[in-house]
Amino acid sequence: MGFSEKVFSDFAAVAVEGALKDANIEWKKIQAIMAGIFIYGGNAGHLSGQYLESIFGETGVPVVNVYNACATGSAAIRMAYNSVAAGETDTALAFGADVSPKGFLTAKSDNAVQDRDVIRWKMGGLPNPIYWALECRKRMEKYGTTEEDLALVKVLMSEYGAKNPDARFKKPYTMEEVLNSVYVCDPLRLYEICPVSTGAAAVIVTADKELISKADKAVKINATTMGSSIYGDPTIRISALSCPAVAEAPMLSESYSASRQAYEKSGIGPDDIDVLELPDNSSWHYLVYLETCGFCKEGEADKMLRDGMTKIGAKLAVNPSGGFSSHGEALSAQALWQVIECANQLRGRGGARQVEGAKVAMAQTYGLMGNSGTTILTL
Amino acid sequence: MENMANKVARIPNLVDWSTGEVRLMSAKCNSCGTHFFPKEHYQHRPGCSREGVEDVLLPQKGKLASYTIQYYPCPAPFKTEKKITPYGIGLIEFEEEKIQVTGIITETDLKSLKLGMEMETTILEMFTNEEKQQVVTWAFRAVK
Repeated sequence: MGFSEKVFSDFAAVAVEGALKDANIEWKKIQAIMAGIFIYGGNAGHLSGQYLESIFGETGVPVVNVYNACATGSAAIRMAYNSVAAGETDTALAFGADVSPKGFLTAKSDNAVQDRDVIRWKMGGLPNPIYWALECRKRMEKYGTTEEDLALVKVLMSEYGAKNPDARFKKPYTMEEVLNSVYVCDPLRLYEICPVSTGAAAVIVTADKELISKADKAVKINATTMGSSIYGDPTIRISALSCPAVAEAPMLSESYSASRQAYEKSGIGPDDIDVLELPDNSSWHYLVYLETCGFCKEGEADKMLRDGMTKIGAKLAVNPSGGFSSHGEALSAQALWQVIECANQLRGRGGARQVEGAKVAMAQTYGLMGNSGTTILTL
Repeated sequence: MENMANKVARIPNLVDWSTGEVRLMSAKCNSCGTHFFPKEHYQHRPGCSREGVEDVLLPQKGKLASYTIQYYPCPAPFKTEKKITPYGIGLIEFEEEKIQVTGIITETDLKSLKLGMEMETTILEMFTNEEKQQVVTWAFRAVK
């Protein structure tokens, strides 16, 4: 069967099979399944956990299906973690699988009163990247971010993607090539925006000492949190038609909230982190997320980037995987994929893009309409 | 103002031209002071009693807080008879109401856009419906 003929549950099965093998755990040891739903998959997609369970063999364990937009995987891993931490289960599975439609993602309902997403499509002419471009323009005006800064993000991400056998896009780009790519929504160019993608990811969380001892270098979850938006956040959120003109909360406050909760719970702060996988949906995200998550002050991310402070080999390695720029985003899988990338860096499996001596890693997500999750991992 | 007879908004309760000016239909909470748009999508400050929400029209004029130029046609359900790409999208600030609203910019000289410039609310004709009415959305243009 060709790749294009496969369905989301085929991809999910590959990811779960991989997680079971990697952890050296039998299916029957899984005591709960936290599933990220596949919104375009109808009944099967909305009950993706049940479909997955039937493939591996139904065991009667609790199955919960969850959706938090592009932070769906964050919700799944957080529920798996909380189930284990609460003592409800010893071992829980979190997974997500998605097959993206081609092109821009569009409206999923037709009721403009309950769903303002309908208004943005019918009246606004507002595909997702426009929201990022509007914020990017503000940033350029306020902090002097240049077109070269935006292009440099892609140059760096493509350099890492080329070294990642699992990346979807493996071509390294020069500054000139990025700056010559067409505008999608000025100031953002084609190579500065991540595409939608198809994929699956699965993580097993366990407190079972015997299982941990059998795994090949299990990593510890120090915190896995979720945040929602805070009143007065000036960001124009995807789907919305308006935003506050006066900031009373940080930008991307859902991610500010998720990351601060994770720092507080883990006792680990930005200074301690060696590897950061952030959601580079666009070059603007790469810059603003360094600030939102407290790796520098507002307006200083461009300098961090220009000075090479985010490269592999510097104190903080940002997106050594090549990021969404090299993989695209597969809605319910991507947050879990970021956690796996972080775990593999800590386990020394980074190959040509290994961050030497990585001890602490952080995965940060961004989901539409105020959804975000942060996971901090240590070896 | 141009002749607004025979024009209908594609989605109601968003844009009004009954006063003689094209203005956006917002709502305001008199308890916490929050303005929101669209008016059906309530937004309040945490702890607000949520009492005294009233419909208000935003001023016709505001300032350009940000903009982008979209080079690709917006997919369905967006629909226009004429090709409009590349088109501008603006974020227009209404200072007193402390709100910024997005909308298509009808300027054809997109190079003339500058942050801070004064913009006014207008309409964009999208297509003709079966009743031969012009179906419109709200939009913005530079104040000349």
